[in-house]
Amino acid sequence: MTPEDPVVMLVIEDDLGDQKLLRSALNNLSMPVVFSVHGTAEEALDYLNGSKAQDAMPRPNLILLDLNMPGMGGREFLRRIKQDEELCAIPVVVLTTSDSQSDIENCYKLHAAGYIQKPGTPAELRQIMTKVAEYWFTNSPLVRL
Amino acid sequence: MDNMRAVTILLIEDDPGDQKLITQSLRAEKVSNHIQVVGSGEAAIEYLTASLSGDPEKPLPDLILLDLNLPGMGGKEFLRQLKQNPRIADIPVVILTTSDMDRDILESYRLQASGYIKKPCGLAEFQVVMKSLNDYWFVICKRVTHDTGCAYQANKCIAR
Repeated sequence: MTPEDPVVMLVIEDDLGDQKLLRSALNNLSMPVVFSVHGTAEEALDYLNGSKAQDAMPRPNLILLDLNMPGMGGREFLRRIKQDEELCAIPVVVLTTSDSQSDIENCYKLHAAGYIQKPGTPAELRQIMTKVAEYWFTNSPLVRL
Repeated sequence: MDNMRAVTILLIEDDPGDQKLITQSLRAEKVSNHIQVVGSGEAAIEYLTASLSGDPEKPLPDLILLDLNLPGMGGKEFLRQLKQNPRIADIPVVILTTSDMDRDILESYRLQASGYIKKPCGLAEFQVVMKSLNDYWFVICKRVTHDTGCAYQANKCIAR
């Protein structure tokens, strides 16, 4: 991908307030970001499976994943993605309220590419998203997979 | 943002010039870090084996920085072996290499690299990149508290 191409980010988050905060934090970045926001892991999996065949559904460069969601939830989603030969190369960053050591450990064991605890304020979330973008989009080249 | 304990970084890099640039840039960061340097994938496996046996001189790393073009097994094979070992598969591995070929990038992500950084030129650029890496992994990301070595030692004592 070239620097001009927008970054495609898949956000899996069931809380509407957090979805809004994330959109606004990511829209503040100095680079174009295209979002695909899903409220459940099932919906996100449908999208990702669709992206295997349809150009209209661009494959994300990075996935931001909440853990506690209705339905299959984030942990099972992570396990499934990392077992899929085509989708396993997409880095998944966990963004959750949980700071339990067992969640942190299990997510890294399932090859999460980062585990971030949701901060208390929108300003902190903006700071965090700026660092996430610097790391993933400025210094770490992502390919269209 | 409460990750205040000292971090251990294992740098796998065969080029002495790059070793120096990377360790200098990392040491410029405020996080208290302990950088262990090895020159090959084989030496890294030896290091990790010692960590798992509880060697106090060789703590399990919180992050591994991996060059791809190394003598011997090479970076990708090391990554594959690490991610297949359940005792150390949770250690994030960031690729740091001169190659920016799509094939290398894709293959590294398939092998579950947690980032792929093309080596910049010069100390100033290295410092920018290492600051971003440090902020991401040690300021905003939560880390696993590795106590594998101690647990392993305790088990050995019980077994005796």
